[in-house]
Amino acid sequence: MSGLEILSIAPNATVQDQGRVGYLRYGLCGGGAIDGYALAEGQALLGNRPDDAALEFAGFGGRFRARSALWLACSGAEMTLAVNGAPRPWRQGFPLSAGDELTIGAAKNGVFGYLHVAGGFLGEVVLGSRATLLRAGLGTILREGMVLPVGARAAGVDSGADSQGDIVPLGLRAPDYFARRRFRVLWAPQSRLFSPEVQARILAQAFTVSSARDRMGMRLDVSPGAGLQAEDGLTVASDATNLGDVQITGDGAPVVLLADRGPSGGYPRLLTVISADLGALAQVPSGETIGFDLVSRAEAVDELAKFRRKISALPGMAQPVVKDLRALTDLLAHNLIDGAIRGDEGDDDDD
Amino acid sequence: MRDYAPMETGLTAQKFGPPQVSVAGDMGLLVGFGVRYDPVVNAAVLAFDRAFCRASPAGVIETVPTFCSLLVRFDPLVLPFSRLETQIEALLAQEDWYAAPPESPARRWVLPTVYGGARGPDLGRVADLMGLREDQVIDGHSAVTLRVAMLGFSPGLAYLGQLPEVWGFARKTRLSPEVPAGAVLVAVRQTVLPATPIPTGWYMIGQTPFRAFQPRHKVPFLLAPGDELRFEPVAQSRFNAFDQATFLSGAKDGDVEGNSGG
Repeated sequence: MSGLEILSIAPNATVQDQGRVGYLRYGLCGGGAIDGYALAEGQALLGNRPDDAALEFAGFGGRFRARSALWLACSGAEMTLAVNGAPRPWRQGFPLSAGDELTIGAAKNGVFGYLHVAGGFLGEVVLGSRATLLRAGLGTILREGMVLPVGARAAGVDSGADSQGDIVPLGLRAPDYFARRRFRVLWAPQSRLFSPEVQARILAQAFTVSSARDRMGMRLDVSPGAGLQAEDGLTVASDATNLGDVQITGDGAPVVLLADRGPSGGYPRLLTVISADLGALAQVPSGETIGFDLVSRAEAVDELAKFRRKISALPGMAQPVVKDLRALTDLLAHNLIDGAIRGDEGDDDDD
Repeated sequence: MRDYAPMETGLTAQKFGPPQVSVAGDMGLLVGFGVRYDPVVNAAVLAFDRAFCRASPAGVIETVPTFCSLLVRFDPLVLPFSRLETQIEALLAQEDWYAAPPESPARRWVLPTVYGGARGPDLGRVADLMGLREDQVIDGHSAVTLRVAMLGFSPGLAYLGQLPEVWGFARKTRLSPEVPAGAVLVAVRQTVLPATPIPTGWYMIGQTPFRAFQPRHKVPFLLAPGDELRFEPVAQSRFNAFDQATFLSGAKDGDVEGNSGG
């Protein structure tokens, strides 16, 4: 069977795409890649369709073996990457021949890393998506020994074919959002349940990202006595949660709700992180300190427009890297390969 | 929790309203009809949702009705915030949504249920909380016709309202790590019916073999807000013999009684 064989894989790895739309009213979360920008980077590097599926890793990857010739690329948080033991640069397309072994290790500067294949990973489409939702048994549950089938490449993709018609790998510059530690927010509808003192404090206070985190949400630690309790008790009548809501749990600690959150919940929500910033926030490593900045809804919408423009620009930003990557692998250190991307891609990383 | 008696329609708006529209993230507006669950508030949410969805403007992604509010998710780059706000305010002003009589239920379900034993490990505890015998708890629970107030938390999980006041005890203080799909869970005058295994703080008094979430079928979610539902006590053998396809084929004219023979 052709495709990519899983030799070993971190238990929290999942298949992700753009997720499921329209089922929140039935209690089904949207799912989809936590870092939507990173998903789009992979599609740009391989000429994939926007809804092609990738593997999402949370902190640690796995070992894989090609069962057929494949083109792959990685995106999102940079992780150690090697083919047959030789290091490979992140955020660049690369070929594997049947039998080649791929190793993806620990994340270096973020949390969520992605492995993409030209044509996308296949797997059952349930309710419009291939995304894994473990607790509901949806999508592919990744296991050792499994061979992941791969789709046909999108038609008309040249992936930077050179004048001889050979495929040339494409590369993208690393975006700058992994260094961000401040994130923009709007008041959530239930912010009224909190005293002005608590409202002021959540904007002034610094929070440490806890290791209690997954695709449902990320907890922010507060020092003892610095909890952010609502005035009206712990719970409210369950209502719809939003992507990016900052919910205050019983002990006064904020939890930022992500793609696999429960679509409704009874904890009051104080803030909502703006759409353009949520992926970057989810990439902040545990132990780092973050803070929130209040913006207007008009600013949030402007930022959303900017964010979408950046994603649309990605296919044009992906540039051919050196022609014969295989011959040069042993000679080039990571930084050198980064330098081999042509310097004229433009730079839209303006935040 | 208060038990609201049927009320004069002229008073309802003052009692619960007026509805409030709030920004809910940069892709959402929340239309709040109240802050505590009440059948009148929930009926207002569902009536407003139906009316809004009939004329859903381009740019609306989905609506999410819950106990007391309706979340409207939309793309603000297609449908500007201010325009959607104006449309929502105009629709809110069109009528007294709290006076909307609950629409006749889309469907009436009678779900075979085994109460107590391994399928209802908390039945004895609930009987103690209510000061009743276990058979009285079963009789009481299965006698009430419940209404689906909302779906949420996990795929296809239904919150059912509302049991009489004597069921007003609080949830457990400690979570059960997992209860199975079909668990019949009670507390705070509500019944919760999960369609997948979930962790919970509610008391499990029984289980139905019916599954409200069938992801690989043409109709993946079987329950909808507004549906009426009653639990029918059956023996373990009926539970074991339950076949969902046969049960669903017994549905006629919106009434889903299944092949309930006894």
